[in-house]
Amino acid sequence: MEQELLDLLVEHFQDRIAGSVKSDKRVEIFTSTSAIEDVLMYAKNVLGYIHLVHFSCVDWIEENEFELMYAIFSPKSKITIMSKVRVDRENPVAPNIDYIWRHANTFEREIREMFGIEFTGLIAEKEMILEDWIEMPPMRRDFDTAEYAKKTFFDRPGREDAQDVRETIIKRTGEELPEFSKKYSR
Amino acid sequence: MKQDRSTTLYLGPQHPGITGNMMIKLQLEGDTIVKATTHVGYLHRGFEKLIERRNWLQSFTILCRMCVPEPDPNEENYARAVEQIEGREVPERAKYIRVLVLELARLASLLLWYAGQPGSAGLYTMGQWSVGDRNYILDLFEELTGGRIYHMYIWPGGVRRDLPEGFGDRVLKVMDYLEKRWKDYDRLMFDNAIFQKRAKGVGIINPKKAREWGVVGPPLRGCGIKSDVRIDEPYEVYDKLDFQVPDMYKDGDVWSRALVRRFEFLQSISIVRQVIEKMPQGPVFNKIPNPHKWVVPKGDALVKTETVRGESAFYVVSDGSNKPRRVHLKGPAYIHGFTLLEDVLVGANLADVSFIMNSLGTCPPEMER
Amino acid sequence: MVNDKESRKIVDIIQDFARKSSLFVLAYGTGCGAIEIPPTMTSRYDAERFGIRGAATPRQADVLLITGYLATKSLKRVIRAYEQMQNPKYIIGFGSCTINGGMYWDSYNTINRLDMYMPVDVYINGCMPRPEAVIAGFAKLQKLIQAGKADGWERYQNNLEFYRKNQKKIIHNWVMPDYNW
Repeated sequence: MEQELLDLLVEHFQDRIAGSVKSDKRVEIFTSTSAIEDVLMYAKNVLGYIHLVHFSCVDWIEENEFELMYAIFSPKSKITIMSKVRVDRENPVAPNIDYIWRHANTFEREIREMFGIEFTGLIAEKEMILEDWIEMPPMRRDFDTAEYAKKTFFDRPGREDAQDVRETIIKRTGEELPEFSKKYSR
Repeated sequence: MKQDRSTTLYLGPQHPGITGNMMIKLQLEGDTIVKATTHVGYLHRGFEKLIERRNWLQSFTILCRMCVPEPDPNEENYARAVEQIEGREVPERAKYIRVLVLELARLASLLLWYAGQPGSAGLYTMGQWSVGDRNYILDLFEELTGGRIYHMYIWPGGVRRDLPEGFGDRVLKVMDYLEKRWKDYDRLMFDNAIFQKRAKGVGIINPKKAREWGVVGPPLRGCGIKSDVRIDEPYEVYDKLDFQVPDMYKDGDVWSRALVRRFEFLQSISIVRQVIEKMPQGPVFNKIPNPHKWVVPKGDALVKTETVRGESAFYVVSDGSNKPRRVHLKGPAYIHGFTLLEDVLVGANLADVSFIMNSLGTCPPEMER
Repeated sequence: MVNDKESRKIVDIIQDFARKSSLFVLAYGTGCGAIEIPPTMTSRYDAERFGIRGAATPRQADVLLITGYLATKSLKRVIRAYEQMQNPKYIIGFGSCTINGGMYWDSYNTINRLDMYMPVDVYINGCMPRPEAVIAGFAKLQKLIQAGKADGWERYQNNLEFYRKNQKKIIHNWVMPDYNW
């Protein structure tokens, strides 16, 4: 059933998409920003994938790309299609899909604020969650939240970054670590 | 000069009628709402950023705090996603215990709703009863996990520890009590003329549009659409359990949603009883490696759970290191609180705002995380 | 000579007794700790026994309960609510995240130490504190009030510059009225 759906999609869009059956009830397709609107429209209006389950973004800083993930679900076939699109990280622009699903608007606003991806033609207030934010979008991988917190907020003494409890105790008291507990230590 | 009759009212963030800490900007004409805009961000903690800095096991302690009234589905969802990426097996008994915990959490959350829904119409007695009764479930949680609200009990590969001796009997005792109380709640809340008059015909969702607008959970079932992740995509052992999903309440108003929740309350009690009865013996967890060195292979997974407010979906991505790349939650409130609430509030009365919010299950910590 | 510590008159003692016996808590759930407030207020724990009850508006409230982490956006509103409250007023920091940031200590959007921004009278430790702990915290506050030691509001008035400096460090767009009473 998942394979049939995939064949149908590939037949319709030819080389504009590629995909695989990910697992039970999950089909994964890879496409481009120019094709994603067509794919989603086709899936919604023709195949009956009427429910947008999830719309997420992952920062792949090593490959200098963002990956957008649109998960759509059909109540009839009970299959979820995860369509993935890669966007360039230097100039991130993606198509706006809130005319297909109204609630995509919320996802897009959040992704715009948290990752700095522009959606062409998205009409909404710029500020959604953050207020008076002047740094880079916080969900990008190169934004260091601990450093920012240290710089901005006040630390209470005694609170340091993720320490090993055993090592801390050894440092403080000077006692030897038992043999059996060494394998649990970092 | 043209007379502008509309008033702008900022409802929240400090307002007793608002569920949680959020703000709705209302455009009013008289006391009828012409435009509503949701503003959030008062509870944003940046969970998804923090998880990038925690390893796979440390993430549990903060993941459950994403939604306060019902933290367990988040743990279960995340654990299941990690299991899917890794291909880790879960013992049968652990699956039953997970369902038990999930259903108890659902009951606890429903009892909180039993307090909030009539409370926002001015019927405070109900809250005294149901929040008091909720303590009995929290006591069970405390015995099982050590915490009243946050449990960190469900792990990848199983659950943290086995049930204490005689726990099943105590659960059944509480279930008997709650079933008895359910009839009292009916008399106090559903037979109450004030509640009926406030609830009927208020906050209507168009059943034809509901699916397209992304409505999930009780609001969708209140439109007469039979949809539940537990039957659409059975997870854990829900396919072996016998329960019904209501599709007989078709009006799409607050009253229908209240009846759906009333129905689900009994269903949850029945599921808990079945779980206790059918629970097999055996181990409760598969051992996970040393958490500091635990590496999950590259991959991603999208998992869904039915929480009390509707379908909640987790997208977990691993880049093959000892920390998650991305954990992204879409809770039901993410849709109910923004586009849906803004739409349903138009034309409603100002006094009904918190009433409608409660019935849609708006949960700000989940909306902004 | 109200609240002059060297010469506490009998009238002060009576005044403080009255104050401690009726604490109106501002109903502002600023964080996830708000989930333990309904159990505290309802049948099993029933905080109203101690004269603790909710107030809907800041001007009618005595106690500001900071239930958990404060996002920077929330902090602005909390300061506004606090400054609207009438003297004497008290702050209870609820949960570990108000003490040192708790598990959100490295978050870019939550403050770590509440007492750098607002004068805290009592801290309640835990994540999340149980209703008993909440009631114990209130009992401690009542003792402090009776002894005339809950002077957070005086500290705020006397060290306003210190608090303002810290507050303005994270609230860039300061559009609030001056605190002048």
